[in-house]
Amino acid sequence: MIMEKKLLVEDHIKRNKRSTVIVCTMMAALFAAVVLAFGYIFFGNIIIASIFAIPIGIGYVLVTYSISVGSVLAAAKARPANPRIREEKLLIYRVEEMAIAAGIPKPKVYVQDSEYINAFATGKNPDEGVICVTTGALKKLNQEELEGVIAHEMSHIKNYDIRIATVTIGVVGAISLLAEILFWSMLWGGGRSRGRGEGNAILIVLAILLVILAPIFARLTYLAISRRREYLADSTGAYLSRNPEGLAKALEKIKQDHPKSKPKGSKTVAPLYISNPFRRVDVSSVWSTHPPIDERIKKLRSM
Amino acid sequence: MDPLILALIIILIIVVLVFILVFVGYHNKIIRMENRIDNSWAQIDVQLRRRSELIPNLMETVKGYMKHEKEVLENVTKARSALMSAKTPQENINADNMLTGALKSLFAVAENYPDLKANQNFLNLQDELTNTENKIAYSRQHFNDSVLAFNNTIETFPGMWFAKRMGRKTRDMLQIPDAAREVPKVKF
Repeated sequence: MIMEKKLLVEDHIKRNKRSTVIVCTMMAALFAAVVLAFGYIFFGNIIIASIFAIPIGIGYVLVTYSISVGSVLAAAKARPANPRIREEKLLIYRVEEMAIAAGIPKPKVYVQDSEYINAFATGKNPDEGVICVTTGALKKLNQEELEGVIAHEMSHIKNYDIRIATVTIGVVGAISLLAEILFWSMLWGGGRSRGRGEGNAILIVLAILLVILAPIFARLTYLAISRRREYLADSTGAYLSRNPEGLAKALEKIKQDHPKSKPKGSKTVAPLYISNPFRRVDVSSVWSTHPPIDERIKKLRSM
Repeated sequence: MDPLILALIIILIIVVLVFILVFVGYHNKIIRMENRIDNSWAQIDVQLRRRSELIPNLMETVKGYMKHEKEVLENVTKARSALMSAKTPQENINADNMLTGALKSLFAVAENYPDLKANQNFLNLQDELTNTENKIAYSRQHFNDSVLAFNNTIETFPGMWFAKRMGRKTRDMLQIPDAAREVPKVKF
Protein backbone atom coordinates (compact mmCIF):
# COMPACT_ATOMS: atom_id res chain seq x y z
CA MET A 1 0.00 0.00 0.00
CA ILE A 2 1.39 3.37 -0.95
CA MET A 3 1.39 5.87 1.89
CA GLU A 4 -0.10 9.21 0.91
CA LYS A 5 2.45 11.91 1.55
CA LYS A 6 1.13 14.30 4.17
CA LEU A 7 1.08 17.63 2.42
CA LEU A 8 1.08 20.93 4.18
CA VAL A 9 -1.95 23.05 3.55
CA GLU A 10 0.35 25.58 1.92
CA ASP A 11 1.51 22.96 -0.59
CA HIS A 12 -2.08 22.16 -1.49
CA ILE A 13 -2.73 25.83 -2.10
CA LYS A 14 0.35 26.13 -4.34
CA ARG A 15 -0.59 23.05 -6.35
CA ASN A 16 -4.12 24.20 -6.91
CA LYS A 17 -3.01 27.63 -8.05
CA ARG A 18 -0.53 26.10 -10.51
CA SER A 19 -3.19 23.83 -11.99
CA THR A 20 -5.47 26.82 -12.49
CA VAL A 21 -2.79 28.62 -14.48
CA ILE A 22 -2.26 25.57 -16.68
CA VAL A 23 -5.94 25.11 -17.38
CA CYS A 24 -6.55 28.81 -18.02
CA THR A 25 -3.68 28.83 -20.50
CA MET A 26 -5.31 25.92 -22.31
CA MET A 27 -8.53 27.90 -22.45
CA ALA A 28 -6.75 30.92 -23.90
CA ALA A 29 -5.01 28.73 -26.48
CA LEU A 30 -8.34 27.20 -27.42
CA PHE A 31 -9.85 30.63 -27.88
CA ALA A 32 -6.92 31.70 -30.05
CA ALA A 33 -7.26 28.54 -32.16
CA VAL A 34 -10.96 29.16 -32.74
CA VAL A 35 -10.29 32.76 -33.76
CA LEU A 36 -7.65 31.57 -36.24
CA ALA A 37 -9.96 28.92 -37.66
CA PHE A 38 -12.68 31.52 -37.94
CA GLY A 39 -10.31 33.79 -39.81
CA TYR A 40 -9.04 31.16 -42.09
CA ILE A 41 -12.45 29.87 -43.13
CA PHE A 42 -14.23 33.15 -43.28
CA PHE A 43 -11.71 35.54 -44.64
CA GLY A 44 -8.67 33.56 -45.69
CA ASN A 45 -6.80 36.19 -43.72
CA ILE A 46 -6.02 35.95 -40.03
CA ILE A 47 -5.63 39.66 -39.36
CA ILE A 48 -9.06 40.56 -40.68
CA ALA A 49 -10.48 37.60 -38.77
CA SER A 50 -9.04 38.87 -35.50
CA ILE A 51 -10.44 42.32 -36.10
CA PHE A 52 -13.89 40.77 -36.29
CA ALA A 53 -13.64 37.87 -33.89
CA ILE A 54 -11.82 39.41 -30.96
CA PRO A 55 -14.25 42.26 -30.31
CA ILE A 56 -17.11 39.75 -30.33
CA GLY A 57 -15.21 37.62 -27.83
CA ILE A 58 -14.20 40.50 -25.58
CA GLY A 59 -17.62 42.11 -25.77
CA TYR A 60 -19.28 38.86 -24.74
CA VAL A 61 -16.89 38.48 -21.83
CA LEU A 62 -17.42 42.06 -20.64
CA VAL A 63 -21.18 41.65 -20.71
CA THR A 64 -21.03 38.50 -18.68
CA TYR A 65 -18.38 40.06 -16.40
CA SER A 66 -20.84 42.54 -15.01
CA ILE A 67 -22.36 40.04 -12.62
CA SER A 68 -25.59 40.97 -11.14
CA VAL A 69 -25.27 39.93 -7.52
CA GLY A 70 -28.89 40.89 -7.13
CA SER A 71 -30.03 38.36 -9.69
CA VAL A 72 -28.02 35.55 -8.10
CA LEU A 73 -29.60 36.30 -4.73
CA ALA A 74 -33.06 36.66 -6.23
CA ALA A 75 -32.73 33.37 -8.10
CA ALA A 76 -31.80 31.68 -4.84
CA LYS A 77 -34.64 33.47 -3.03
CA ALA A 78 -32.15 34.55 -0.39
CA ARG A 79 -32.93 37.03 2.37
CA PRO A 80 -30.53 39.01 4.58
CA ALA A 81 -29.62 37.19 7.80
CA ASN A 82 -31.77 38.31 10.73
CA PRO A 83 -29.68 39.10 13.81
CA ARG A 84 -32.74 38.69 16.00
CA ILE A 85 -32.80 34.97 15.31
CA ARG A 86 -29.99 33.50 17.39
CA GLU A 87 -28.76 31.00 14.78
CA GLU A 88 -28.53 33.72 12.18
CA LYS A 89 -26.89 36.12 14.60
CA LEU A 90 -24.26 33.49 15.31
CA LEU A 91 -23.84 32.99 11.56
CA ILE A 92 -23.15 36.70 11.18
CA TYR A 93 -20.60 36.55 14.00
CA ARG A 94 -18.82 33.56 12.42
CA VAL A 95 -18.67 35.33 9.05
CA GLU A 96 -17.21 38.46 10.67
CA GLU A 97 -14.55 36.39 12.42
CA MET A 98 -13.54 34.50 9.29
CA ALA A 99 -13.36 37.75 7.33
CA ILE A 100 -10.74 38.97 9.80
CA ALA A 101 -8.77 35.75 9.36
CA ALA A 102 -8.99 36.17 5.58
CA GLY A 103 -8.08 39.85 5.70
CA ILE A 104 -11.02 40.94 3.55
CA PRO A 105 -13.89 43.30 4.38
CA LYS A 106 -16.86 41.62 5.99
CA PRO A 107 -19.15 40.13 3.32
CA LYS A 108 -22.91 40.62 3.49
CA VAL A 109 -24.66 37.64 5.02
CA TYR A 110 -27.75 36.10 3.46
CA VAL A 111 -29.87 33.09 4.33
CA GLN A 112 -31.69 30.70 2.00
CA ASP A 113 -34.70 28.86 3.36
CA SER A 114 -33.98 25.25 2.52
CA GLU A 115 -33.88 22.08 4.57
CA TYR A 116 -30.70 20.92 2.83
CA ILE A 117 -27.17 21.83 3.88
CA ASN A 118 -25.58 24.21 1.39
CA ALA A 119 -23.88 27.56 1.04
CA PHE A 120 -22.66 29.81 -1.73
CA ALA A 121 -20.62 32.95 -2.22
CA THR A 122 -20.92 35.68 -4.79
CA GLY A 123 -19.69 39.21 -5.48
CA LYS A 124 -17.50 40.90 -8.09
CA ASN A 125 -14.49 41.32 -5.84
CA PRO A 126 -13.46 40.78 -2.22
CA ASP A 127 -14.65 44.27 -1.25
CA GLU A 128 -18.22 43.45 -2.19
CA GLY A 129 -18.56 39.87 -1.07
CA VAL A 130 -21.79 38.06 -0.26
CA ILE A 131 -22.14 34.76 1.58
CA CYS A 132 -25.38 32.81 1.75
CA VAL A 133 -26.06 29.78 3.93
CA THR A 134 -29.19 27.61 4.01
CA THR A 135 -31.36 27.36 7.11
CA GLY A 136 -30.85 23.60 6.85
CA ALA A 137 -27.11 24.11 7.28
CA LEU A 138 -27.67 26.31 10.33
CA LYS A 139 -29.78 23.59 11.92
CA LYS A 140 -27.76 20.53 10.98
CA LEU A 141 -24.15 21.70 11.34
CA ASN A 142 -22.37 22.43 14.60
CA GLN A 143 -20.24 25.56 14.98
CA GLU A 144 -17.00 23.81 13.98
CA GLU A 145 -18.53 22.46 10.76
CA LEU A 146 -20.26 25.76 10.01
CA GLU A 147 -16.93 27.52 10.45
CA GLY A 148 -15.39 25.14 7.90
CA VAL A 149 -18.13 25.88 5.37
CA ILE A 150 -17.82 29.63 5.93
CA ALA A 151 -14.03 29.42 5.55
CA HIS A 152 -14.52 27.62 2.21
CA GLU A 153 -16.93 30.24 0.91
CA MET A 154 -14.75 33.08 2.20
CA SER A 155 -11.87 31.55 0.25
CA HIS A 156 -13.89 31.70 -2.97
CA ILE A 157 -14.35 35.43 -2.41
CA LYS A 158 -10.74 36.00 -1.40
CA ASN A 159 -9.40 34.06 -4.39
CA TYR A 160 -11.57 35.95 -6.87
CA ASP A 161 -13.20 32.68 -7.90
CA ILE A 162 -16.48 34.33 -8.75
CA ARG A 163 -14.74 36.63 -11.20
CA ILE A 164 -12.72 33.75 -12.66
CA ALA A 165 -15.88 31.67 -13.11
CA THR A 166 -17.76 34.51 -14.79
CA VAL A 167 -14.94 35.37 -17.19
CA THR A 168 -14.34 31.72 -18.03
CA ILE A 169 -18.02 31.10 -18.70
CA GLY A 170 -17.90 34.21 -20.88
CA VAL A 171 -15.00 32.82 -22.87
CA VAL A 172 -16.80 29.48 -23.26
CA GLY A 173 -19.82 31.38 -24.53
CA ALA A 174 -17.70 33.41 -26.90
CA ILE A 175 -16.05 30.29 -28.31
CA SER A 176 -19.43 28.67 -28.80
CA LEU A 177 -20.83 31.82 -30.38
CA LEU A 178 -17.96 32.09 -32.84
CA ALA A 179 -18.26 28.42 -33.68
CA GLU A 180 -21.95 28.79 -34.37
CA ILE A 181 -21.52 31.87 -36.56
CA LEU A 182 -18.93 29.96 -38.50
CA PHE A 183 -21.05 26.87 -38.86
CA TRP A 184 -24.05 28.74 -40.22
CA SER A 185 -21.96 30.84 -42.58
CA MET A 186 -20.28 27.68 -43.88
CA LEU A 187 -23.70 26.25 -44.53
CA TRP A 188 -24.94 29.28 -46.39
CA GLY A 189 -22.05 30.44 -48.43
CA GLY A 190 -18.75 28.83 -47.75
CA GLY A 191 -15.39 30.42 -47.19
CA ARG A 192 -13.75 32.85 -49.57
CA SER A 193 -10.62 30.79 -49.63
CA ARG A 194 -12.27 27.97 -51.52
CA GLY A 195 -10.89 27.07 -54.82
CA ARG A 196 -7.25 27.40 -53.90
CA GLY A 197 -6.35 23.76 -54.13
CA GLU A 198 -6.48 20.47 -52.29
CA GLY A 199 -4.13 21.35 -49.45
CA ASN A 200 -6.60 24.03 -48.50
CA ALA A 201 -9.50 21.57 -48.47
CA ILE A 202 -7.79 19.54 -45.76
CA LEU A 203 -7.16 22.68 -43.74
CA ILE A 204 -10.80 23.66 -44.12
CA VAL A 205 -11.94 20.26 -42.87
CA LEU A 206 -9.61 20.58 -39.88
CA ALA A 207 -10.92 24.05 -39.20
CA ILE A 208 -14.50 22.80 -39.34
CA LEU A 209 -13.68 19.99 -36.91
CA LEU A 210 -12.03 22.46 -34.58
CA VAL A 211 -15.05 24.71 -34.71
CA ILE A 212 -17.41 21.85 -33.87
CA LEU A 213 -15.27 20.39 -31.11
CA ALA A 214 -14.04 23.65 -29.61
CA PRO A 215 -17.21 24.48 -27.66
CA ILE A 216 -17.13 20.99 -26.14
CA PHE A 217 -13.51 21.32 -25.15
CA ALA A 218 -14.14 24.79 -23.86
CA ARG A 219 -16.87 23.52 -21.58
CA LEU A 220 -14.68 20.64 -20.36
CA THR A 221 -11.85 23.08 -19.65
CA TYR A 222 -14.20 25.36 -17.75
CA LEU A 223 -15.36 22.43 -15.62
CA ALA A 224 -11.74 21.44 -14.95
CA ILE A 225 -11.04 24.99 -13.79
CA SER A 226 -14.14 24.89 -11.61
CA ARG A 227 -13.06 21.67 -9.90
CA ARG A 228 -9.56 23.00 -9.36
CA ARG A 229 -10.92 26.17 -7.73
CA GLU A 230 -13.06 24.03 -5.44
CA TYR A 231 -9.97 22.21 -4.19
CA LEU A 232 -8.25 25.56 -3.76
CA ALA A 233 -11.17 26.88 -1.73
CA ASP A 234 -10.99 23.74 0.43
CA SER A 235 -7.27 24.17 1.09
CA THR A 236 -7.41 27.94 1.62
CA GLY A 237 -10.38 27.46 3.93
CA ALA A 238 -8.47 24.85 5.91
CA TYR A 239 -5.57 27.31 6.21
CA LEU A 240 -7.78 30.16 7.41
CA SER A 241 -9.62 28.12 10.02
CA ARG A 242 -6.47 26.11 10.90
CA ASN A 243 -8.94 23.23 11.06
CA PRO A 244 -9.44 21.04 7.94
CA GLU A 245 -11.49 18.61 10.02
CA GLY A 246 -14.34 21.11 10.37
CA LEU A 247 -15.04 21.21 6.65
CA ALA A 248 -14.37 17.45 6.33
CA LYS A 249 -17.10 16.75 8.88
CA ALA A 250 -19.47 19.16 7.17
CA LEU A 251 -18.88 17.45 3.82
CA GLU A 252 -19.69 14.10 5.39
CA LYS A 253 -22.99 15.47 6.61
CA ILE A 254 -23.66 16.91 3.16
CA LYS A 255 -22.99 13.49 1.66
CA GLN A 256 -25.82 12.02 3.70
CA ASP A 257 -28.05 14.90 2.88
CA HIS A 258 -29.14 14.31 -0.75
CA PRO A 259 -31.90 16.54 -2.04
CA LYS A 260 -34.83 14.43 -3.08
CA SER A 261 -36.14 16.82 -5.64
CA LYS A 262 -34.28 19.12 -8.00
CA PRO A 263 -34.25 22.68 -6.74
CA LYS A 264 -35.43 25.45 -9.02
CA GLY A 265 -33.08 28.07 -10.30
CA SER A 266 -30.55 28.61 -13.01
CA LYS A 267 -27.83 26.01 -13.27
CA THR A 268 -25.14 28.57 -13.88
CA VAL A 269 -25.01 29.38 -10.20
CA ALA A 270 -24.20 25.76 -9.42
CA PRO A 271 -20.42 26.22 -9.26
CA LEU A 272 -20.79 28.79 -6.51
CA TYR A 273 -22.42 26.33 -4.14
CA ILE A 274 -20.30 24.24 -1.81
CA SER A 275 -21.94 21.16 -3.24
CA ASN A 276 -23.76 21.23 -6.56
CA PRO A 277 -27.45 21.19 -5.67
CA PHE A 278 -28.44 19.99 -9.11
CA ARG A 279 -26.44 16.79 -9.15
CA ARG A 280 -25.72 13.75 -7.04
CA VAL A 281 -22.68 14.24 -4.84
CA ASP A 282 -21.30 10.73 -5.06
CA VAL A 283 -21.03 10.73 -8.84
CA SER A 284 -18.35 12.92 -10.33
CA SER A 285 -16.91 13.00 -13.81
CA VAL A 286 -15.31 15.41 -16.27
CA TRP A 287 -18.75 16.96 -16.55
CA SER A 288 -18.92 17.92 -12.85
CA THR A 289 -18.39 21.40 -11.49
CA HIS A 290 -17.26 19.96 -8.16
CA PRO A 291 -14.72 17.24 -7.43
CA PRO A 292 -16.01 13.99 -5.91
CA ILE A 293 -16.94 14.56 -2.29
CA ASP A 294 -14.90 11.59 -1.00
CA GLU A 295 -11.77 12.95 -2.69
CA ARG A 296 -12.32 16.31 -1.04
CA ILE A 297 -12.73 14.71 2.38
CA LYS A 298 -9.63 12.59 1.84
CA LYS A 299 -7.50 15.58 0.86
CA LEU A 300 -8.72 17.63 3.81
CA ARG A 301 -7.88 14.82 6.19
CA SER A 302 -4.40 14.49 4.71
CA MET A 303 -3.50 18.07 5.59
CA MET B 1 17.48 52.00 -41.28
CA ASP B 2 18.89 48.50 -41.22
CA PRO B 3 15.96 46.21 -40.17
CA LEU B 4 18.27 44.26 -37.84
CA ILE B 5 19.10 47.40 -35.88
CA LEU B 6 15.43 48.31 -35.77
CA ALA B 7 14.59 44.88 -34.39
CA LEU B 8 17.31 45.17 -31.76
CA ILE B 9 16.05 48.58 -30.67
CA ILE B 10 12.49 47.25 -30.35
CA ILE B 11 13.72 44.30 -28.29
CA LEU B 12 15.70 46.64 -26.08
CA ILE B 13 12.65 48.83 -25.51
CA ILE B 14 10.56 45.79 -24.61
CA VAL B 15 13.20 44.55 -22.16
CA VAL B 16 13.38 47.95 -20.50
CA LEU B 17 9.58 48.07 -20.23
CA VAL B 18 9.51 44.63 -18.62
CA PHE B 19 12.16 45.69 -16.12
CA ILE B 20 10.19 48.78 -15.20
CA LEU B 21 7.03 46.73 -14.73
CA VAL B 22 8.77 44.21 -12.49
CA PHE B 23 10.42 47.01 -10.54
CA VAL B 24 7.18 48.85 -9.95
CA GLY B 25 5.40 45.60 -9.24
CA TYR B 26 7.73 44.48 -6.48
CA HIS B 27 7.97 47.92 -4.94
CA ASN B 28 4.21 48.17 -4.72
CA LYS B 29 3.87 44.61 -3.51
CA ILE B 30 6.21 45.25 -0.59
CA ILE B 31 4.37 48.44 0.35
CA ARG B 32 1.01 46.70 0.18
CA MET B 33 2.21 43.84 2.35
CA GLU B 34 3.51 46.26 4.95
CA ASN B 35 0.22 48.10 5.04
CA ARG B 36 -1.53 44.81 5.51
CA ILE B 37 0.64 44.11 8.55
CA ASP B 38 -0.05 47.53 10.07
CA ASN B 39 -3.74 47.16 9.38
CA SER B 40 -3.96 43.75 11.04
CA TRP B 41 -2.06 45.10 14.06
CA ALA B 42 -4.59 47.88 14.43
CA GLN B 43 -7.40 45.34 14.15
CA ILE B 44 -6.03 43.40 17.15
CA ASP B 45 -6.22 46.57 19.21
CA VAL B 46 -9.80 47.27 18.15
CA GLN B 47 -10.89 43.81 19.30
CA LEU B 48 -9.02 44.00 22.60
CA ARG B 49 -10.70 47.29 23.32
CA ARG B 50 -14.10 45.85 22.48
CA ARG B 51 -13.57 42.99 24.91
CA SER B 52 -12.55 45.43 27.60
CA GLU B 53 -15.75 47.40 27.09
CA LEU B 54 -17.98 44.34 27.39
CA ILE B 55 -16.62 43.21 30.73
CA PRO B 56 -18.23 45.76 33.12
CA ASN B 57 -21.62 44.90 31.62
CA LEU B 58 -20.90 41.21 32.09
CA MET B 59 -19.90 41.69 35.73
CA GLU B 60 -23.11 43.62 36.45
CA THR B 61 -25.23 40.88 34.93
CA VAL B 62 -23.66 37.92 36.75
CA LYS B 63 -23.08 39.68 40.08
CA GLY B 64 -26.57 39.01 41.38
CA TYR B 65 -26.60 35.34 40.38
CA MET B 66 -23.05 34.30 41.23
CA LYS B 67 -22.83 35.91 44.66
CA HIS B 68 -20.82 33.04 46.10
CA GLU B 69 -18.29 32.80 43.35
CA LYS B 70 -16.13 35.61 44.69
CA GLU B 71 -12.83 34.19 43.49
CA VAL B 72 -13.91 33.66 39.90
CA LEU B 73 -15.37 37.17 39.68
CA GLU B 74 -12.34 38.79 41.31
CA ASN B 75 -10.00 37.04 38.90
CA VAL B 76 -11.74 38.70 36.00
CA THR B 77 -11.59 42.15 37.61
CA LYS B 78 -7.95 41.69 38.61
CA ALA B 79 -6.96 40.54 35.12
CA ARG B 80 -8.74 43.47 33.56
CA SER B 81 -6.91 46.03 35.67
CA ALA B 82 -3.61 44.25 35.07
CA LEU B 83 -4.26 44.58 31.35
CA MET B 84 -5.07 48.26 31.60
CA SER B 85 -1.91 48.99 33.57
CA ALA B 86 0.41 46.80 31.51
CA LYS B 87 3.41 48.70 30.20
CA THR B 88 5.68 46.35 28.31
CA PRO B 89 4.50 44.10 25.45
CA GLN B 90 5.29 41.06 27.58
CA GLU B 91 3.20 42.36 30.49
CA ASN B 92 0.47 42.99 28.00
CA ILE B 93 0.52 39.43 26.69
CA ASN B 94 0.59 37.95 30.18
CA ALA B 95 -2.32 40.06 31.38
CA ASP B 96 -4.26 39.29 28.23
CA ASN B 97 -3.67 35.60 28.76
CA MET B 98 -4.86 35.91 32.36
CA LEU B 99 -8.04 37.69 31.30
CA THR B 100 -8.86 35.09 28.68
CA GLY B 101 -8.39 32.35 31.26
CA ALA B 102 -10.46 34.17 33.86
CA LEU B 103 -13.34 34.64 31.43
CA LYS B 104 -13.17 31.00 30.44
CA SER B 105 -13.50 30.00 34.11
CA LEU B 106 -16.38 32.39 34.63
CA PHE B 107 -18.35 30.91 31.77
CA ALA B 108 -17.55 27.39 32.88
CA VAL B 109 -18.83 28.12 36.39
CA ALA B 110 -21.90 29.85 34.97
CA GLU B 111 -22.98 26.45 33.66
CA ASN B 112 -24.07 25.64 37.23
CA TYR B 113 -26.52 28.52 37.39
CA PRO B 114 -29.57 27.71 35.25
CA ASP B 115 -31.23 31.00 36.20
CA LEU B 116 -28.25 32.90 34.90
CA LYS B 117 -28.18 30.84 31.72
CA ALA B 118 -31.81 31.72 31.11
CA ASN B 119 -31.06 35.43 31.40
CA GLN B 120 -31.25 36.90 27.90
CA ASN B 121 -28.75 39.62 28.70
CA PHE B 122 -26.23 37.04 29.87
CA LEU B 123 -26.72 34.97 26.74
CA ASN B 124 -26.19 37.98 24.51
CA LEU B 125 -23.05 38.96 26.39
CA GLN B 126 -21.73 35.41 26.22
CA ASP B 127 -22.25 35.36 22.44
CA GLU B 128 -20.60 38.75 22.08
CA LEU B 129 -17.62 37.85 24.21
CA THR B 130 -17.10 34.60 22.31
CA ASN B 131 -17.29 36.65 19.15
CA THR B 132 -14.70 39.12 20.45
CA GLU B 133 -12.33 36.42 21.70
CA ASN B 134 -12.51 34.68 18.32
CA LYS B 135 -11.83 37.98 16.59
CA ILE B 136 -8.82 38.62 18.82
CA ALA B 137 -7.45 35.19 17.96
CA TYR B 138 -8.11 35.55 14.23
CA SER B 139 -6.69 39.04 14.04
CA ARG B 140 -3.51 37.77 15.68
CA GLN B 141 -3.49 34.90 13.23
CA HIS B 142 -3.92 37.29 10.34
CA PHE B 143 -1.15 39.48 11.68
CA ASN B 144 1.19 36.49 11.75
CA ASP B 145 0.08 35.39 8.27
CA SER B 146 0.77 38.89 6.93
CA VAL B 147 4.21 38.96 8.57
CA LEU B 148 5.01 35.52 7.15
CA ALA B 149 4.02 36.54 3.63
CA PHE B 150 6.03 39.76 3.95
CA ASN B 151 9.11 37.98 5.30
CA ASN B 152 8.90 35.38 2.52
CA THR B 153 8.77 38.11 -0.11
CA ILE B 154 11.71 40.10 1.19
CA GLU B 155 13.90 37.11 1.98
CA THR B 156 13.61 35.43 -1.40
CA PHE B 157 14.91 36.42 -4.80
CA PRO B 158 14.24 39.01 -6.23
CA GLY B 159 12.28 40.62 -3.42
CA MET B 160 15.40 40.79 -1.29
CA TRP B 161 17.04 43.29 -3.66
CA PHE B 162 14.09 45.64 -3.41
CA ALA B 163 13.86 45.22 0.32
CA LYS B 164 17.48 46.22 0.75
CA ARG B 165 17.13 49.27 -1.43
CA MET B 166 13.93 50.26 0.38
CA GLY B 167 15.54 49.64 3.75
CA ARG B 168 12.96 47.05 4.80
CA LYS B 169 13.77 44.37 7.33
CA THR B 170 11.96 41.22 8.36
CA ARG B 171 9.33 41.61 11.04
CA ASP B 172 8.66 39.52 14.10
CA MET B 173 5.59 37.43 14.52
CA LEU B 174 3.51 37.42 17.68
CA GLN B 175 4.31 34.63 20.06
CA ILE B 176 0.95 33.58 21.34
CA PRO B 177 1.05 31.67 24.61
CA ASP B 178 -0.56 28.25 24.31
CA ALA B 179 -3.31 28.79 26.85
CA ALA B 180 -4.78 31.68 24.91
CA ARG B 181 -5.11 29.56 21.79
CA GLU B 182 -7.71 27.26 23.29
CA VAL B 183 -10.44 29.81 23.74
CA PRO B 184 -11.37 30.57 20.15
CA LYS B 185 -12.75 27.16 19.25
CA VAL B 186 -15.50 27.50 21.82
CA LYS B 187 -18.09 24.85 21.01
CA PHE B 188 -21.73 25.12 21.80
